[in-house]
Amino acid sequence: MTLQAERVDEVVSALRGVLRDEQILTSKPDRLNRARVPAPFPVHRWTERMPDLAVLPTSTEEVAAVVRIANDLRVPIVPRDGGTGLTDGAVPLRGGIVVDVKRMNAIRELDLENRTVTVGTGINMLKLNEQLARHDLFYPDDPASYPCSLVGGRIGTSGWSLIGSRYGHTRDLVLSFDFVLPTGEVMHVGDGIGHKISKSSSGYQLKHLFMGHQGTLGIATEATLKLFPKPEAELSPFWAFDNYDDAYACVGALARAGVATFAGAVLFDEHKVAYLRRDDEAYIPQPGDVRALVCTVMYGYEDEVRPAGKRLFRIAREHGARYLGDEISEGDWAARHDRYATPLHGRTKAGQVVPMSWHCEDAAINYTHLPAVTKAWHEIVADLRRRTDVFDDWGMFAYTSGNTGVDYLTEIDVGIWEQQLDDRAWEMWVKAKRDIAAVAISHNGSISACHGSCRDGEVDLVPDELGRGFDVMLDVKRALDPNNIMNPGKYLLDRAYDTGRQA
Amino acid sequence: MTESNNGKGRPVGYRYAEQLTPPEPAQVTDVARTSFEHVYEVDPRLMQTWVLQQEFPNWDTLRIMNSRHDHLDWMHRHFAHKVVTGSELLAEVEAEGGQS
Repeated sequence: MTLQAERVDEVVSALRGVLRDEQILTSKPDRLNRARVPAPFPVHRWTERMPDLAVLPTSTEEVAAVVRIANDLRVPIVPRDGGTGLTDGAVPLRGGIVVDVKRMNAIRELDLENRTVTVGTGINMLKLNEQLARHDLFYPDDPASYPCSLVGGRIGTSGWSLIGSRYGHTRDLVLSFDFVLPTGEVMHVGDGIGHKISKSSSGYQLKHLFMGHQGTLGIATEATLKLFPKPEAELSPFWAFDNYDDAYACVGALARAGVATFAGAVLFDEHKVAYLRRDDEAYIPQPGDVRALVCTVMYGYEDEVRPAGKRLFRIAREHGARYLGDEISEGDWAARHDRYATPLHGRTKAGQVVPMSWHCEDAAINYTHLPAVTKAWHEIVADLRRRTDVFDDWGMFAYTSGNTGVDYLTEIDVGIWEQQLDDRAWEMWVKAKRDIAAVAISHNGSISACHGSCRDGEVDLVPDELGRGFDVMLDVKRALDPNNIMNPGKYLLDRAYDTGRQA
Repeated sequence: MTESNNGKGRPVGYRYAEQLTPPEPAQVTDVARTSFEHVYEVDPRLMQTWVLQQEFPNWDTLRIMNSRHDHLDWMHRHFAHKVVTGSELLAEVEAEGGQS
């Protein structure tokens, strides 16, 4: 909490002019519940990230009215959707008002002819797809937080989808949206002004600018989404290899094959397989010469998927792959849609089980740089582990981002013993995050393909990655948010203001 | 196990002992062992300091295992109408006799 009690009273009094009392939440549990995110953070510092209050608007007009009040009173305001992001976009760094959009979860219009749906941004993709299935339609935005993340958060983070190699990622699937700017003005943003246009060359292409800003430019309130037929068939074979190099060669060949129903391929490195063989029931019984894995997934009509699948099976065989069997292939893939509900534990160096939170650092890396980045990242985490039991290396994945195999969402999973995460360990972790980001940049990659890059550590390198583009970010931020009220403190954007800190 | 002493030296409980006795475990790796088929657990020697192993009734262990399959089946139906089985395709590819 950062506001004085009298200021909170002033804000609440103003909000009562635009919201009902039950939409304004000031109790400690209500505020704590809207401060939590999955990325580990020292427990003794949690109170630093508490909002002063939260609101539950039900319409674009109510969101706009709340933002106008925040701007008039110079109070920080932070949009929050599912709160599942891994770079703290929904975390209030300076207190203020959290705008929880979960009540804006209605389906406004289903257009069966143009294949679009218009929804409040507080809707979850799983719940949306339950409704769409009645029409044999499907919205294929599929993060690892699929059962709990919301459409608005996907816009704010410009999310990455597990099956994006087939259907595109959030930026491709969201056609347009209503957006409340930091001054409280409402704008419709998309390709051109149309709500359902997938390609326009009219004016600046603003849609991407207002996606992936981590809530620093405003709040998406209603979105029109592109729909597909619900797939008739799914195929998700997993293959084992006795060495990383063959698995790496295989995943590249699968991604480059140009199969139309190809929805993604994933490379599991030796550290990941060692972790799974330690604690994942599907992998514990695997023989010791299973040292790396590749999986691929296809969606489409059965008469497309079957011949395409056979083509990929032939490619895998040419690379020395061993099929892992139907149960593990189908079961593991189904579990990948929901990685946030898994209770986790790690090990001390002596082997004792300890409770750990999962964290994952990601980057966008070209195929040819994957082996070098993999090696360098494991060395960084190994150095952490040599010094403390707080961190445990849970291995790496590389997921195709597109259908040509050009680049991969590359992630290293790290178990973090959050109860033991004191100031010293936190400093070590922040430095490691900075080093991990530096490796990505030094290999011509991007700091993040999925999460964003505004957390302690990696954020320091964003100006290095973007160069002159970072100055443009500052100019845009200053122009649209003259009082620095919209999610202040993120992405080093305080540099846009002369005083460094306005709100 | 939920038990207390009734003051007469005899434990009082509402769960039967046999429900808390899983099949004799077998070591499967240096860190894991198995009791029921497809049910694995961390070697208890590795859960003695920071996290202690809990005792589960057999029916609860099996319920959790079975509900996991229910969940995965539900997820398959949610994303597609049917699952193409990899082993069928592999058999067809092998029958082709190495043709690429």
